[in-house]
Amino acid sequence: MSRKNLLINGKKGDKAILLGNEAIARGAIEAGIGYASMYPGTPASEIIIALDKNKQYIENFYSEFSLNEHVSLHGAIGASWSGVRALCAMKNVGLNVASEPAHFLAYTGVKAGLVIAIGSDPGAPSSSNEQDDRWYSFHTGMPIMEPADIQEAKDFTRDAFGISEKFSFGIILNAPARLCHNAGTIHFDDPKDRAGIEGNFIKDPDNYLNLFNLVVKNHNKYIKRGNLLKEFLSNSPFNFAITWPPQSSGKGMGRERTGFISAGVIYSHLIESLNILEEKDNKILKLGFTYPISEELIGDFVKDLDRVVIVEEGEGFLEFQIKKIAYEIGFKGKIHGKDIFKMAGELTLDDVITGLSEFLCKSTPEYFDISVRKSAEVEEALPQRSGTFCIGCPHRATIYSVLKAIGFSHTDGKERDNVVIAGDIGCYTLSLLPPYNAMDFLTCMNAGLGIGQAISRFDKKKKVIALVGDSTFFHSGIPVLLNAVQNNADVLYIILDNSWTAMTGHQRTPSTPKCVDGTSLQGSVNIKELVKSLGVTNVKSLDPNSVKRFSSHVKSMLKEKGLKVLIAKRECILQEERRKKILKAESPEKAEAVSLYEIQKERCVKCNECFLELACPAISLKNEKTPGGENLEYYYIDPASCVKCGVCYEICPNSAIRKVEYNLKPVHPGTEGEYERV
Amino acid sequence: MKGFNIAIVGLGGQGIITMGTVLKNAALDSDLKDVSGSERRGGAQREGYVETFVKYIFYEKESELRDPRKNIHSPMIQSGGADVLISLEPLETLRGAHYINKNSTVIFNKIPHIPISVRMGQACYPDISDIRSRLKNICGRVFEYDFDGLSLSNFNSLMQRNIIALGVLFSKTDIPIDKPIIEGILSKGKGGKENLEAFHLGLEVS
Repeated sequence: MSRKNLLINGKKGDKAILLGNEAIARGAIEAGIGYASMYPGTPASEIIIALDKNKQYIENFYSEFSLNEHVSLHGAIGASWSGVRALCAMKNVGLNVASEPAHFLAYTGVKAGLVIAIGSDPGAPSSSNEQDDRWYSFHTGMPIMEPADIQEAKDFTRDAFGISEKFSFGIILNAPARLCHNAGTIHFDDPKDRAGIEGNFIKDPDNYLNLFNLVVKNHNKYIKRGNLLKEFLSNSPFNFAITWPPQSSGKGMGRERTGFISAGVIYSHLIESLNILEEKDNKILKLGFTYPISEELIGDFVKDLDRVVIVEEGEGFLEFQIKKIAYEIGFKGKIHGKDIFKMAGELTLDDVITGLSEFLCKSTPEYFDISVRKSAEVEEALPQRSGTFCIGCPHRATIYSVLKAIGFSHTDGKERDNVVIAGDIGCYTLSLLPPYNAMDFLTCMNAGLGIGQAISRFDKKKKVIALVGDSTFFHSGIPVLLNAVQNNADVLYIILDNSWTAMTGHQRTPSTPKCVDGTSLQGSVNIKELVKSLGVTNVKSLDPNSVKRFSSHVKSMLKEKGLKVLIAKRECILQEERRKKILKAESPEKAEAVSLYEIQKERCVKCNECFLELACPAISLKNEKTPGGENLEYYYIDPASCVKCGVCYEICPNSAIRKVEYNLKPVHPGTEGEYERV
Repeated sequence: MKGFNIAIVGLGGQGIITMGTVLKNAALDSDLKDVSGSERRGGAQREGYVETFVKYIFYEKESELRDPRKNIHSPMIQSGGADVLISLEPLETLRGAHYINKNSTVIFNKIPHIPISVRMGQACYPDISDIRSRLKNICGRVFEYDFDGLSLSNFNSLMQRNIIALGVLFSKTDIPIDKPIIEGILSKGKGGKENLEAFHLGLEVS
């Protein structure tokens, strides 16, 4: 049975290799969910992808990629109130967008279980902040579960639904990227029967209405429910203590009696670190629930300790709670945490090993020290490597055109001091990296036009260009654009419409015109018409791969006053290529004529326009010895990686790049890539 | 309790994550009790650094499986903790070098992929001989191949270079997985025949 089907149909006794995110999805299937939604966001995307792509095989099930997290959580609440168990996933910053519904959820409570799975991103490899959503629980009242490994990711998710129903809270399942993208062995349990899943909204005005005295009443109710949950957690299988090992009670070893408290993935780092340091003489408390924390549980654990070490990532969410509890019940020992472990950045296994080794005065293994020392020497000298757009990405053409329109050039050392480029979230965010450096600020979704319109009001010496992608625009950009219309902002707003939420794995947006297999999608929104209907009069839609035309429009629009909208409309190259492959496989006779681009060595003067300004990764620098023994350096288009977008061909100022037509007939039938030249 | 740790590094789009997934599924089919290891895929935009870990875990006694001090593992590998480092890009081999110790084996692709910083003249790409000697300074077993060339000349595409590297992994290390298990996994699905050929090519290449 394939892995995909096992995720849906697996039974008790089956096992599989799953990603942490897929394990969460499987846990939800075992719990019998009938609803799943998210606005896609790394590192959480695969939770809903795993369910959505299999939805036709899951009985009585609905899933959607919602327009934003706010809508997505409301959808989950609606499902729950209709008696259907609901899973809502999002990335860490998604909870900011969903924070309004999240703040009402405790007041109203749930009907069927509701779980919010949050993919947090310590170290921020794919986020614009390191936000730790657990702190939200102090004001949303939502309980938090933190699985330590893949098995727990599944089991906790499954169990969370029942607890959600029992105490009438939405439950947060917190999963950092290290868990979301950990892949390993998982053992299944039987899924709940799906036949009975059916919606029935039972009116419940006592809980669902929030106005005047009802608000205070509901507030009191959830405080009470929170206390009941805390009582349940004082003795539950989710939190457990590992007591002193046999033969050592921690006493009489000539040192302070030490206990560790940890949760989630960091708990797995802690256990591994203690094994590596061969440190056995201690007690450990593992928290499965990190909010709320039972006073009794902590009191019981710390009573025979001289010192407590809290091992956690972030700014000290557990330390904050545990210190309060421990000192209130009169604990006399010391409590350590953020005095040992850093607050910012990912807390790695190395960080835990090093922190504990220093604190416990235990030496690290020799191989570890040597490796740390030697790699420090090596890494110092390593050139930086940063990601960039895919080969043939239309965003590269858009960004290049914008930079050329405003006179920027690396090669000629020309800056762009008189233009502010407002950045936003999506694939095009990569334009802030070298060599483009085409963003002056980047914060949250739709901050580009939001902040940009105010800058345009105050700094009259600079032109403002705001970038946004189609998915981000639909997420929450329409009100921002309307605001700019209403207040007549002087901004060039460029909507990079590639038809997909591409960065998170190509989810549909409202403007996606056709599926990857070529079938058209009914009712797809025309962004140009939408923008016009919002009151923008100056709006154009152009193909960015026609670089010169696009660039000249950027230039002329920048000269005009007021709000201008330019839509860079071209589909994501990955989807286009996928479609070509599908069509080719379906009807090989229809395959298009093949043309390759090549740089003619004798004409290329290495002006750097394609290599450094456009910076397409398919173009590289090659070395060759001439027959005369001289070293010849030249630029070269790698035919194995080039996708024939033709942008370099258009921009070459010396006409050194030429298009070579190839015959459709392969030289060796059945092989790809080699064609007879016309 | 023992383990066998593999760190695989390279660039987005080279098939690094796939290598990890194949090796983990092999553990499942070999009845190993436990395998895990996280992926760094967030920064896996084109050209970006990607790494994945495969940790095979052996329990010496059944009781260890129930011992909470033994039965859970970090998804990461500590500095010096890898038995094998496989890399599909020379420079990234050095970036991943902190995972190896003097007993480790390194298998790397010697075909460079020049980062933007070097393109812009802000940094220099180290010589392959320099990379080699830095690695040999840490451990004795360093093997380098032209995986790009092997894949291109045999399969007319770069798609097989990761699977060829897996073949080398099996010929140069004591990986605790039987070859037929990997062959079984590779032969399934689309491109199974080519994958199997690529794996065997990797086994035989010296």
